[in-house]
Amino acid sequence: MALAREIYQALEDIVGKKNISEDIGVCESYRSIASQTSAHYGPFDHWTPLPQAVILPGSTEEVQNVVRICNKYKIQFKAGSTFYATMAYIGSDYAVQLDMRRMSKIEIDAKNQCAIIEPYAIAAVVQAEAMKVGLNLNIPGVGCSSSTLASTSGWAGFGPTSIFMGASGENLLSAEWVLPDGEVIKTGSAGAGAGWFCGEGPGPSFRSVFRGVTGVAGSMGVCTKIAVRLHPWPGPTFLPSDGVLPAYKAVLPDNFKCYTLCFPDWEGWTTAAAIIHENDVLYLGHRQYNMFGRNLKGAMIRILTDPEKQLCDLPELLEDPELQKQNESMKLEFQVVIAGMTKKDMEYKEKAIDEILKLSRGWKNEMMLEKDVHDWALLYLLRLGHKNLNYVLCGAYEGNFGMSSNLYVTTPLMEEASALKRKWEVEATAIAATGGDSEMGSISGIGGGGVTGWEYFTNFDAYDKDSIRGTKEFFDDTQRWMTEHGLGGDFSRWNTECRREDSYNYTQEEHDSFFVKMAQPHVMAYQWKVREAFNPNHLGGSYYRTLTPDKVPEGK
Amino acid sequence: MFDSMKEKLATIVGADNVKDDAGILESYAKDQSFATGIRPWFVVKPQNAQQVQDLVKWANETSTPLVPVSSGGPHHKGDTIPSVPQSVIVDLSGMNRILNINRQQRMTVVEPGVTYGELQEALAKEGMTLSMPLAPRATKSVMTSVLEVEPRLNANHQWQYHDPLRCMEVVWGDGNSMFTGEAAGGVKDLEKQWDAQKWQVSGNGPNMFDFLRIPTQAQGTMGIVTWASLKCEVLPTIHNMHFVPAKKLENLIDFVYRVIRLRFSDELMVMNGSYLAELLGESAEQIQQLKAELPQWVALVGVLGRELLPEDRVEQQTSDIEEIAQQHGLKMVPALPKIKGDKVLAKALNPSKELYWKETAKGAYQDIFFVTTLDKTPMFLKAMYELAEDEGYNTSDIGVYIQPQHCGSSYHLEFHLPYDPNNALETAKVKRMFEKGSELMSGLGAFYARPYGMWAKLQLNKDAQSYNALKKLKKIFDPNDVMNTGKLTV
Amino acid sequence: MSLQDYRPMMERCSMCLNCRWIPFDKIKSQRYGQNCPSIGYYNFNTNTARGRFQMAQSMLDGRTTYTDDVIETIHSCTACGACDMACKVCRYNLEPLDHNLELKAHAVADGKTLPGQLPVIENLVKENTMLVGAKKANRMDWAEGLDMIDLFKETADVAFFAGCQYSYNKDLQKVARNAVKVLQKAGVKVGTLGGADNCCAGRALQMGFTKEYNDQSSANIKAFEKAGVKTIVTPCSDCYHAFKRQYPKSGSTVEVLHMVEYLDRLIADGKIKFTKSVPMSVTYHDPCHLGRLGESFTPWEGKEKKILNQVHTWEPRRPRYTGANGIYDAPRNILASIPGVELVEMERIREYSWCCGAGGGCSDTLPEFSSWTAGERLTEANATGADALVSACPWCKNNFANAVDENGNKMQVLDIIELVQMAL
Repeated sequence: MALAREIYQALEDIVGKKNISEDIGVCESYRSIASQTSAHYGPFDHWTPLPQAVILPGSTEEVQNVVRICNKYKIQFKAGSTFYATMAYIGSDYAVQLDMRRMSKIEIDAKNQCAIIEPYAIAAVVQAEAMKVGLNLNIPGVGCSSSTLASTSGWAGFGPTSIFMGASGENLLSAEWVLPDGEVIKTGSAGAGAGWFCGEGPGPSFRSVFRGVTGVAGSMGVCTKIAVRLHPWPGPTFLPSDGVLPAYKAVLPDNFKCYTLCFPDWEGWTTAAAIIHENDVLYLGHRQYNMFGRNLKGAMIRILTDPEKQLCDLPELLEDPELQKQNESMKLEFQVVIAGMTKKDMEYKEKAIDEILKLSRGWKNEMMLEKDVHDWALLYLLRLGHKNLNYVLCGAYEGNFGMSSNLYVTTPLMEEASALKRKWEVEATAIAATGGDSEMGSISGIGGGGVTGWEYFTNFDAYDKDSIRGTKEFFDDTQRWMTEHGLGGDFSRWNTECRREDSYNYTQEEHDSFFVKMAQPHVMAYQWKVREAFNPNHLGGSYYRTLTPDKVPEGK
Repeated sequence: MFDSMKEKLATIVGADNVKDDAGILESYAKDQSFATGIRPWFVVKPQNAQQVQDLVKWANETSTPLVPVSSGGPHHKGDTIPSVPQSVIVDLSGMNRILNINRQQRMTVVEPGVTYGELQEALAKEGMTLSMPLAPRATKSVMTSVLEVEPRLNANHQWQYHDPLRCMEVVWGDGNSMFTGEAAGGVKDLEKQWDAQKWQVSGNGPNMFDFLRIPTQAQGTMGIVTWASLKCEVLPTIHNMHFVPAKKLENLIDFVYRVIRLRFSDELMVMNGSYLAELLGESAEQIQQLKAELPQWVALVGVLGRELLPEDRVEQQTSDIEEIAQQHGLKMVPALPKIKGDKVLAKALNPSKELYWKETAKGAYQDIFFVTTLDKTPMFLKAMYELAEDEGYNTSDIGVYIQPQHCGSSYHLEFHLPYDPNNALETAKVKRMFEKGSELMSGLGAFYARPYGMWAKLQLNKDAQSYNALKKLKKIFDPNDVMNTGKLTV
Repeated sequence: MSLQDYRPMMERCSMCLNCRWIPFDKIKSQRYGQNCPSIGYYNFNTNTARGRFQMAQSMLDGRTTYTDDVIETIHSCTACGACDMACKVCRYNLEPLDHNLELKAHAVADGKTLPGQLPVIENLVKENTMLVGAKKANRMDWAEGLDMIDLFKETADVAFFAGCQYSYNKDLQKVARNAVKVLQKAGVKVGTLGGADNCCAGRALQMGFTKEYNDQSSANIKAFEKAGVKTIVTPCSDCYHAFKRQYPKSGSTVEVLHMVEYLDRLIADGKIKFTKSVPMSVTYHDPCHLGRLGESFTPWEGKEKKILNQVHTWEPRRPRYTGANGIYDAPRNILASIPGVELVEMERIREYSWCCGAGGGCSDTLPEFSSWTAGERLTEANATGADALVSACPWCKNNFANAVDENGNKMQVLDIIELVQMAL
């Protein structure tokens, strides 16, 4: 069913002929299938629906007018910026897709350490512009190809630098938002034109409507501009990158150091992480390269730092005794970057790292100190520009388990979780055999520490239907394990409450049937009321989870 | 009706906890601000969350306005005095338990009536401390302070705007009760959550809506918070306060920007000599004397060391900040004439003596405060001084306090106007100053993030969309408008 | 390969859409972060390598048909390969550029072409050149008066292959003449096929006209064999790519050098000595087909092999074309050796250079898009403050010469040979 001509014409009048399409080829390329990206961003093996049209607005006014038309004709809409995640795609047949690509402005307020940005300003370019004036931003784990606006206002947004800079949500200052009914609001100080420096108030913050522990994943209107807090960058005005593709490396001054801190056991690991949470030492902290798996990480680092090597070299590398020694040395590890704001600051931080290792019985891995490897890791971690390395092994990956709790709960369970994954690697062939433990993630999911946000990388082949099926079975098993251990939803299931398996929106009845069982169902009942107040025509899809209030059981 | 109300209230909180003595009611009808209040009908003192919930449900049934109050007096912002008749004051000071202290997670959970003095003492025993607002009133509720997002002294550790506040239990204006943040993801029972090693650390959500941001900066208009979890810090083993004096505010701006940019310092704030004199002076006379002796402007720089290499950290930070001061033509010193750093540290980081320090100079005061950026502070200052001159208010009496917040992305700017409440002329002058000054600052771009009293009108009138949105949120959480009715409205 | 053979890639593409950007590690500013002209101009994701995978997949599955927009999208790839190398920063088993070209070939085989393509191809078939209006008979006009060795009669050090642009374009003919003179002055015996050679037809391959490419390339390979050509030197980057990377697939064993490689060698050996200073600052544009697509062809036959359950590899090791080993240093060495010349680099250089817009036939078929692409580069070049933009490809030079930057400004555009000539 195509849009009625008068609707299409109205939309075309808003954005111009060049910036709208209902061509089948164009619309087909605005569909997503999560097995090729990440299931925790949507359903696993069904394409999202075909949009009625793809619209490229160029300004807030254009977005507002498009949203008004959508309200007038009850057309669902969803805005996406970089289109990596399935959550950016629509969930019903009578819907249009907004592609925010034409809105990409960046304005840096160097003095007040913030960037005012539009949706298509990706983290890499915001960082590049910020570095020109000695600033940097928290780039979430998803990598620098992500829209900073989307990760900050619309989704989770923690990453390697969150220990120092805070997670993206913590860095959100004022925001401009086209509400689902077409009204435009500016939150905090920008509302009255005072500037973009504060996203809170006046009084209770309206930001509550679109940014909880995660953002609303495009389900409540369109965020068109935000201010994001920036942080110090004590380096050159651009990230100096050298080396032969793909082994690019950063040659930075001595006030930057990247170490892989290794520990004899999880207790030592936890001790070090806890001290880090309590002290201002790190610029960045992440368990990164274990994403390739406990058995493979050393070999993969050799491959990625040597332009001549390929994946077919893995078997030979895995037999290399020296590499095996290094791999064993960094069995339980995480990567850190320290950045000296001054010479003395660097000296203090170096000494502090040594002290932390002493207290935690740890050491620095030698291979990761080789100059080329060090410089490669430094660049990797600072820019997070290699994000599709997630897919390098098999073409597809999914994060699962998802240890979102505290250090002392999660680390004692790590070996058990790893053993479960290893069992699947050995006894089945659906997932890549990488060594069981492939846990990775930020040293802290929030600024200053306290919350972990770790996932296991599970690699499978999106072209191989048996591999996809087997991976789903593995996730069933990990969910069973997570439930047994009181750890909640498996990371791979994060969004199973947001879209149906067939990739369409849930009905209210379906949502009600899930959320009525919650320990504290008022959470979703209030979200229902919020949706009714701000999105009366329900045009955002079912990523916004709601429970009809009269379904809340008595006494809850 | 009055009697039946009293009877009903007594069944909820117990007869001893329902007060309607004229004197008590009068004391809740006004505060030290120029806001005009209306005498409440009752003051009730609930003892637990269930009583609070029952009260709110009853208020909904009877359309009775409730005004929650947690801190002891004197109050200064007009937010705790009823704006409408027939109100019931919900005095939460009796709910004053520290429910939990967890050193491993650096978390504590407190009820509304817990004061800073009580909490810091308990935390210190466990090797911890909580970030502080500047020398709060002795009777100040920790929870009110964090709910109202009073600026903290350690902006560098304020990753979240609302730090150190994390999770809460809230009885919303509609009578529903729930936990917020991470705590809302589990069973609604703190003991059980602790048994499951959940310590209410992550304050957002728990889903896509952020319940954290509804009772905060709300002046009790959305609901009543019955406990809150707070992120603590490890107790310092070394803690020094340094001073960077300057003749003009402008001289300190770039220095402060630089220090905060590099994430150096622990406490960092700027104040003028008058403000510092009031903070330090034990009497009006001493304050006058200090005003004459202290520098016109000073940046206060706190540096501390905790468990990890404390001496090294303090040495590095101190040395580097000294150098930054030098680079900006300033000097960082460990003491001012006759004033040692330790003394200022103790004053700043502890609750005030019983007579609130802001009232010591003249007996009363009015503050005008808002959020802005540091570069704009001289502009606001100039305008305020000009206004004072126009109004015949002595500019040297104006205290000025500038506090970086949220890792330095914004700044709390406070103008402190002390006056003698027994002097009618001076009182009237300050009232004019307050009203004209508030308007003047608003016109210049002041952002009243916490819009008390007349600031609500000033701020919300400039931002119709925010006001409409606020009204919708209010309708969701307090549909019958029973919570502190009349506040945060135009 | 057929389009169907690319289905594994379509389904293994991780939809990251990094194919829109230069390698993130190289981004220095927002303005010059993008790499793909096609999405740069058209703005829809459809125009990226990812979009093309997806469009092709939906065609194979019968969901997408050939609409006008689909046909234009398919042919709006400049075949510059920027997406390909951006992908290969991380991925080892995707070939986005090959797929883009296969999709074009698939469309052409289905008769789905753009109007501007047909005259070009007709001329190729009829006159053995892709410059519309040019005649086979005039192919050697550019060389009139030059004393080059007839390779069918004598041997020479090198066979000089001017290519169509230098042969027919009046503005460029003198560059080719100068190139030959420079070589001869350095003592090189320069040979020619004397018009027996055809268009290299690399551009036809970039446009999806596989048969026409095969016809031309076969004829050329035969001519090279007949004339006993051992080494070809060409100043054209398109020809260079065709001879170096594509012809070996059809059996050619001729050594192929771009003029800049040969000049670099002559300068290093002291056979070319500069006598004049050229006081100017220049910025250098890496032609796609000399730079990231200028790597040598390595023959390979093998099969897929999964290791570690699901890790996809090939047995034996398959050659990997990342663009890392393209011709980047030779032109820069030449510029560095010319007295007075100062090189100021643009942000997008070497393997992550921005395309001139002429590739893939786009300057003929989608001129507005092509001109916009060139204008983008001129904006970047002008931002360096350089006096001139230097390149080593006549297609680039031609496209730049006819474009303006975002402010409406033109820029002096020089072939690197012209700069060399100025210093002799």
